[in-house]
Amino acid sequence: MIGDLLGIVGEGILIYFILMQLYLAYLAARSAAVLRRSHHLGRFGRITEMLSSRTSPPVSIVIPAYNEVAGIVDSVRSMSLVRYPRLELVIVNDGSTDGTLETLVAALSLERVTIPYRGDIPTAEIRGIYRGRGATDLTVIDKANGGRGDALNAGLNAARYPYALCTDADVILDPECLMRAMQRVVEDRERTVAVGGNVRPLNGCRLELGHLVDAEVPKGIIERMQVLEYLRTFVASRPAWSDMNAHPLVSGAFGVWKRSAALAVGGFTRGHMGEDMDLTMRLHRYHADRGIPYRIVYEPSAVIWTEVPSTRRVLRRQRIRWHRGLMSAVRDFMPMTFNPRYGTLGLVTWPAMVLFEYLAPMIEAAGWLIIPLALALGTLNSSSLLWLAAIAFGVGLANSLISLMLDESYGYFNSPADASRLLTMALIENLGLRQMTVVWRIRALFGGRTVRAWGDMERRGVAGLATGP
Amino acid sequence: MEKKRILVADDSETITTLLTTALESGGYLVTTATDGYETYELGKTGVFDLVILDQLMPGLLGLEVIDRWQAEGVTTPVIVLSGVDDDRTVVDSFDRGAVDFVRKPFRVPELLARVRHRLSV
Amino acid sequence: MTEVAQLATLIIFAANALLVAGLIALKTTHRIRGRQQAKRKRRYMGLVSRHIAYPNCTDPITPAMATDPAFLDAVIDVRNAVVGPEVETLRGIVDRHGVMAHQIRRLRSSFPLGRRLRAAVALAELGDETAAGVLIHHLSDREPEIRIQAAKGLGRMGWTPAIDVIVGRFATETPWVRARFADTLLGFGSAATWPLLAYITVNHRFEREGPVAAIRALAALGDDQATQTLIEVLHEATDPEVKIATVETLGALGSPRAVPVLRNQIRSPDWRIRAKTVTALGEIGDVGSLDLLARALTDSDWWVRRNAAAALAKVGGGVDRLYEALIGKDRFAADAAAESLADAGELAAARRRIGEGRPRERDMTLVGHMSGDRP
Repeated sequence: MIGDLLGIVGEGILIYFILMQLYLAYLAARSAAVLRRSHHLGRFGRITEMLSSRTSPPVSIVIPAYNEVAGIVDSVRSMSLVRYPRLELVIVNDGSTDGTLETLVAALSLERVTIPYRGDIPTAEIRGIYRGRGATDLTVIDKANGGRGDALNAGLNAARYPYALCTDADVILDPECLMRAMQRVVEDRERTVAVGGNVRPLNGCRLELGHLVDAEVPKGIIERMQVLEYLRTFVASRPAWSDMNAHPLVSGAFGVWKRSAALAVGGFTRGHMGEDMDLTMRLHRYHADRGIPYRIVYEPSAVIWTEVPSTRRVLRRQRIRWHRGLMSAVRDFMPMTFNPRYGTLGLVTWPAMVLFEYLAPMIEAAGWLIIPLALALGTLNSSSLLWLAAIAFGVGLANSLISLMLDESYGYFNSPADASRLLTMALIENLGLRQMTVVWRIRALFGGRTVRAWGDMERRGVAGLATGP
Repeated sequence: MEKKRILVADDSETITTLLTTALESGGYLVTTATDGYETYELGKTGVFDLVILDQLMPGLLGLEVIDRWQAEGVTTPVIVLSGVDDDRTVVDSFDRGAVDFVRKPFRVPELLARVRHRLSV
Repeated sequence: MTEVAQLATLIIFAANALLVAGLIALKTTHRIRGRQQAKRKRRYMGLVSRHIAYPNCTDPITPAMATDPAFLDAVIDVRNAVVGPEVETLRGIVDRHGVMAHQIRRLRSSFPLGRRLRAAVALAELGDETAAGVLIHHLSDREPEIRIQAAKGLGRMGWTPAIDVIVGRFATETPWVRARFADTLLGFGSAATWPLLAYITVNHRFEREGPVAAIRALAALGDDQATQTLIEVLHEATDPEVKIATVETLGALGSPRAVPVLRNQIRSPDWRIRAKTVTALGEIGDVGSLDLLARALTDSDWWVRRNAAAALAKVGGGVDRLYEALIGKDRFAADAAAESLADAGELAAARRRIGEGRPRERDMTLVGHMSGDRP
């Protein structure tokens, strides 16, 4: 009796995985259509007209910095090469203890000023404001430590322009990324409240002076796994989310936010571990509840590069933090789940996030316990189990392969060695690596109220990456 | 007479190819650089008779390169090339001692004439 | 059940095998083709550069090159780096070798989007007046990006009969295309002013985005002839976005004739209009508005106050008002005034005078304010 039940549950779990992979396959197919157009337009369409046009809305780039002394000056230089007509940089020093502020002031000859600062969103205490009078319009806000969200809020308060690109100090921005993202704003100024960008792992890439010279697949197996993960997400899922106007997560590493909309919902939540998803979802809720037409989009041609964890220890910390961020989002936005008021987001993408991201580790772990048990009790037909498992694996593999195929249009990873590395990775990631992340995500469910407000990376600075360990 | 040496610094391959071709056919020796640091290092050697320098380059901006050269006592004349159409860059360039300023896109014979003129004075 | 599962597995793994094969094939061809094209393009760039620098250059251009996309790419890149008669030289090269005829055929055909786009870009960058007819036709192409390229080409060649067609499409275009159309009108210069004005006058009461784009285009054109009509538009307009754009444009055009109508807008209940109005008055540099701008320093909205401070720095005598605000009770107004004074170079001048040991009283006030000392 119990054995029969276990058998049914075991099959159910496998079917759950097949459904999950089919959902991802649907997203990939839909993304393919979006990318095809975007690829042609990106290759032949010219957007440099935006550089001299009065129709390009001005943008503030907001960069929170916590103990970034190693790379902060390089990243300012790298960011000032972003091609866009009216642009200011707002760096928020979030109570760094390593002399980040002093380095900035000295290297860029900043002077202490007062600016008419508006406390639209309350933040930790502002200690001082500095301005550069060089080629780049640069403001540095020095504030007491309050975490990434708090620092971003201070940046939103100080920003002078109607759109804010919130990013990180340790990313490399493609010089055209902001024009590409802002094209989506110009397309529909009234409705567009946020634009996300295509985040790619920087590890293994060759850099020169803050410029990407060549994209290569990184050496470490942990890093390679993440390359594949990022491709599945940013290349094969998000274009479809955006196409359905049901994009639940504008990434913290690159998000253009309409300032007035972000302020209307109170900015980023202080101390939140997934402040990017939280703000995206609150924007959805705010506009849908009030019946205000809006859209939150993802632009695949707006490419930025970020360093991803290269060791298991750091990756584990990151994934635990991500899953805790997701947990609080699932809790906070429970009423939006399966709620038709929120359209496709409420009926499809957010429930899928809950079912296939939030619950997945628990269901997978349950599968590890139940399936062997049912097999031992002989209540699960071992051949049907085998076939179901094969289907789940096969569809999952197909999703990885489709992601790689879609990524071809970008022209990165263009050596045969890169191709074979990624193909091998797609085959072997299910043999232990993914299971490892499942364990971490389950670990996230238990205890540990300690919040690391500032990422997990050991920061080496942009310049150091080229030769980094 | 010995050929004059010109350093062409621009991160766009089109511009360096175009200028190299034009200047070499005009009888100059051309060296190219594609980023700020490379330009700075090459210029520091002082072997050039003229530098054609793009403002927007990775690493160091054109004007920053000039600042560094001046700090090191490099006195090679510089023609600043810029696609950025703002008056501040023009003014800043001359304030830093640039001998000429050319906007992109430019006329090739005109640029050659400016180079000739600069190298004859 | 098992048979179905077997079949499904078989299909999925066959598909996977195909995907792997496809991926390898794709990567290989991309790599090889990409390298060869880059190599050829570099060679062509040198060749084209020689033709440009020395019009009597005899290096041959072969028919094989004429149909090579790399050649076209090279020509377009060089075309964007040069102006004047050199562009004619490039046109001569592509015309003589039938490149343009080839591209016109491609644009007209139902080729895939990529090729049609490439053709449209080529015509827009290199086409002369013989291509104008084709481009006008493609102003209503089904693909937005091709419409943009067509308008751009017509603007580049200054083909004035196209103005009415382009402006006429404002009403039905998407905002992105409209924004790019507005940019292309710059190519026509002041010939575009009257068609734009006519379009705005007729439509601004019924729609928003088209007229707004047209009004912004007038700002970029900078033709003072538009001032009078825009003043009338500002009187009549009801839509706030139209008003904002008109105020901005009147400021950019800089004519003192717009001052009275702008001063009326300072009483608008919409803070965005007030904010743009003070900026516009600053750009016009109207000395008679000093009191009004100084009062705007205490507006209920922060942006208006900040813009008022920036505007005061641009109006003769406005600097004195900013120094007055600096010692006023209003903290935000004082900060805004200080920022504006610093942007106007007053802070640097004050520091210099202090350094030289002959500061004025207000130099000390400004520097003191900036370093956070408050009376």
